[in-house]
Amino acid sequence: MSEPIVKLRDVSRVYLQGDIEVHALHDLSLTIEPGEFTALCGPSGSGKTTTLNIIGALDSPSAGQVMLEGKDLATLTRKELSHLRRDRIGFVFQSYNLIPVLSAYENAELVLSVQGMPLNERREKVMSLLHSVGLEGMEDRRPSELSGGQQQRVAIARALASDPAVILADEPTANVDSDTAIHLLDLMQDLNATLGATFIFSTHDERVIARARRIVRMVDGHVESDEVRD
Amino acid sequence: MTAGQNIPAIAWRNLWRNRRRTLLTLASIIFGVFLAIMFTAMQDRNWHEMINLAARLGGGHVTIQHAEYQETPNLKKSIKDSSELVAIALTQPQTRKVTERVSSAVMMSTAAESFGAGLIAFDPTQEDVTTFSLLDPDALVEGKMFTSSNERGIILGQKLAENLDTYIGGRVVYTITDKDGELVSGMERLSGVIRTGAPQMDASLSLLTLGRLRDIVGYENDEATHIAVFIEDQRESGEVAANIGSSINAEDVTVLPWYTTQSDLAAFVAIKVGGTRFISAFIALLVAAGIFNTLFVSVMERMREFGILMALGFTPLGLFGLVMMESLWLAIVGLIGAALVTLGPYLYLASVGIDMSQLLADQGTMDVAGVAMSTTMKVGIFPESVTMIAIAALVATLLAGLYPAWRASTVEPVEAIKLV
Repeated sequence: MSEPIVKLRDVSRVYLQGDIEVHALHDLSLTIEPGEFTALCGPSGSGKTTTLNIIGALDSPSAGQVMLEGKDLATLTRKELSHLRRDRIGFVFQSYNLIPVLSAYENAELVLSVQGMPLNERREKVMSLLHSVGLEGMEDRRPSELSGGQQQRVAIARALASDPAVILADEPTANVDSDTAIHLLDLMQDLNATLGATFIFSTHDERVIARARRIVRMVDGHVESDEVRD
Repeated sequence: MTAGQNIPAIAWRNLWRNRRRTLLTLASIIFGVFLAIMFTAMQDRNWHEMINLAARLGGGHVTIQHAEYQETPNLKKSIKDSSELVAIALTQPQTRKVTERVSSAVMMSTAAESFGAGLIAFDPTQEDVTTFSLLDPDALVEGKMFTSSNERGIILGQKLAENLDTYIGGRVVYTITDKDGELVSGMERLSGVIRTGAPQMDASLSLLTLGRLRDIVGYENDEATHIAVFIEDQRESGEVAANIGSSINAEDVTVLPWYTTQSDLAAFVAIKVGGTRFISAFIALLVAAGIFNTLFVSVMERMREFGILMALGFTPLGLFGLVMMESLWLAIVGLIGAALVTLGPYLYLASVGIDMSQLLADQGTMDVAGVAMSTTMKVGIFPESVTMIAIAALVATLLAGLYPAWRASTVEPVEAIKLV
């Protein structure tokens, strides 16, 4: 059996809101294998986004251990965490979070550019990605010239650009209409199947949940159920 | 991690997100650099001209004289073998011209009045207007200038002539302490009256030919109180003085740059230069404060975006570099804009200048530290001053970007991404 992409062991996350401690995660343990298409679902405040932030090295746990591709994130420096996010993690945010001054092409290219990939290689890869997310001919458009669905496609292309070990998507369909949501899900499912990309979503959306092969239900910062479908 | 090839492009586009704010910031840089260039250009030209004028009135840019003449200026403190010293001075590549002179205090008397004055004896065959500003034909208001080295006659400043109540052809007796410390007198007829534009000089200046004064005070033919060395660029006077000094093997001879022989003028220039630098530094501070404000507000508005960039793999150093790149763009565009805006007015003021004669209508002249200045104010800037201003503007802009850049680099992505 291959090494898990993600392994959370007894992870807790406590925030201070004034003098009050808020337990966002409580002894959470979770293992994600390569190529999985996993939905983290649960009500607001159940800890979905915090889990994604911790897996994505954007946040650190108050207790417990987070392993990504066998590396303990607690042992990495800030710079090493930046490199890990750049090279091994792709993010898709609820509100797209594209860089407004860059075109669709440049947004998708950003991570590769930061990696220092040669221009020709970069161009070939980005054009291929934009083609695969259905944005051919829209490379030069700025985010303000794209619809919500198109922006999210750019965000997906950006997330896939560096061939990450895992793509973390926080409520990716929350800001788009139903048809667009279906198209985005088809796209991600297709990328999962063809590229073998590992996806972890946080979502309330039943349409996303219905397509997931693994559904992790969270309540009050811990896993309530973990269901794998055939 | 490398900064990434499109950091300059992102920084450039970031600048133009708020076009109005960026244009205002650029305007402040352009205006600040324009002011600094103009102030400095006025100063560079004025001081350069003033120093050259003072050199042409006094002992040149570099003066060779008796080692004790500066402390006790009298005819006992003379230098001998002056022709040999002239030859040494001429070996310097910067040397344009070398002349011998004798200067002394003198008592001028006519039948009506007596006044103390300064006397300069020069050889009109060695000198022209580039070494002795009083040879400017416009300075001579009456009579004629000397043409030979032993010519008789005396030329007085206009005010001194008036005070002595004399006229062209009138007798003037001068009494002077000779090289042996004895009082000697000579009598000449007034052959010319000059007007320098500096009231103090016009009231105390008298001229004789060098040969005539040497005879009166008992000097040899190659003896003088000083040798005036003229060079192309007064800024090199210290270096030239040192080089000539090292070539002379006489303990009783010293070689001094203009700022030692004319220490009053040097102090005046230093104070004025210091004042202008202070004003320039103050302008730079104001401009830097404007740039800081622009960058800081711009950074605070984009904290969420910095969080996203951090999530995408930018390092703190990368974000720092991004904001510093925005500062650099501001500096580059500001300096290019400043060059374009400054060039026209500068060229006009450098070639045509501003006629100040209307402002000086009452006195008709302008003198600074005893040196008569032109009433047309022109500008001219040294290349090193332009370089210094450009570097100062660049450094001020980059310094103004440091704190905003640091703020951007310390963003916590998980907190910043929540910001809307």
